[in-house]
Amino acid sequence: MLLSMRSLIEKRVLFFGGKGGVGKTTCASAMAVIASQAGKRVLLVSTDPAHSTSDMFERPIGPEPVQLLPNLHGLEIDGEFESQRYVANVKEQIRGLFGHHILKEATRQIDLAASMPGAEEMALFDRIGGLIRGEDERFDLIVFDTAPTGHTLRLIRMPELMEAWIRALSKSRHAMLGIEQDDSTDPVMLKLAERLENLREFRARLLSPRISAFVLVLVAERLPIEETARAIEQLKEAGVTIGGLVVNRVLPESSPDPFLRSRHDQEVIYLDEIEKRFKSYARVRVPQLPSDVHGITTLERLAGHLVGEKAFQ
Amino acid sequence: MHGMAYGQYERELRRQAAELNDLFLLLCYMEVVGLPNPATLYLLEIYPYLLEQFHLWHRRMGMDRSPLGTLPCC
Repeated sequence: MLLSMRSLIEKRVLFFGGKGGVGKTTCASAMAVIASQAGKRVLLVSTDPAHSTSDMFERPIGPEPVQLLPNLHGLEIDGEFESQRYVANVKEQIRGLFGHHILKEATRQIDLAASMPGAEEMALFDRIGGLIRGEDERFDLIVFDTAPTGHTLRLIRMPELMEAWIRALSKSRHAMLGIEQDDSTDPVMLKLAERLENLREFRARLLSPRISAFVLVLVAERLPIEETARAIEQLKEAGVTIGGLVVNRVLPESSPDPFLRSRHDQEVIYLDEIEKRFKSYARVRVPQLPSDVHGITTLERLAGHLVGEKAFQ
Repeated sequence: MHGMAYGQYERELRRQAAELNDLFLLLCYMEVVGLPNPATLYLLEIYPYLLEQFHLWHRRMGMDRSPLGTLPCC
């Protein structure tokens, strides 16, 4: 069993995912803290609409990066904020390109489209894509504290879907332009090509084992084990590299308390199962701490277990 | 004779071009006709370029005014 996740610090993009309540935020935050202390400029991004990184760091974090430690910034992505920003951006871009009449109508269309269901999720996706592409050069490592598994897997499959869609649009546009106009002089075609290029880069970085890895967090119980197995299948299918598993909140082996001993005995069975079923992945055990985790000090303590400075038996 | 054949040829080409045009418009405006379009947000910036095409489309279809209340181009 591998006891360290230290090598993950060298990646550019890390995702922490898993079933609700297993400690994704805790592990992602701890990893972000230890990487920042190792000299990386880290951005910790929460994509779960129910953000909890601000509770973890005991200070407000918003939709723009906020400094938390010398080398660490936090960001809580907000769909509404992102879609407004996106729309404002587009309006700014088209201003000056068109006459008053077209601009007025186009603005109306843009506002309408931006209020459609799905627009916020799409804007969120676009922001995440930008971060993964390394748009913000202030950071070496982006650590994503993701929403529970299903939502995240959907997000990971989105670049592929969008790429196919934009490609189909380009094809249709190309056929439409025919031989009368060159693709390279058509502004619509150029926009589509730019989109396609961004999506390609997003996907390439997401699927590069050198750049990105997905860490699955679980506890030694039936449901989280099954969900982890499913997530691994789907991530593998999508081509995403599994960085490893964090088995969180492992109980102490010897306890004078019969209740804890009995819980531990049951846990051992699940721990064995985890060892067997996930033997091809790096696995780290993090013990149940005597108090709950929030604030820098407890995070540092937990981070020590993640990167193997306090090997836990 | 030559002119007539050429005219027919040109008409056919124009018809095909118009169809391709419509297909592209439909792909961009799927949401307006009630079909989910995953790329809506990515199309916002090309909407102004398409407004004129949309106008030409509804005129060609024999509608003086835009048939879509949500897309009033004229």
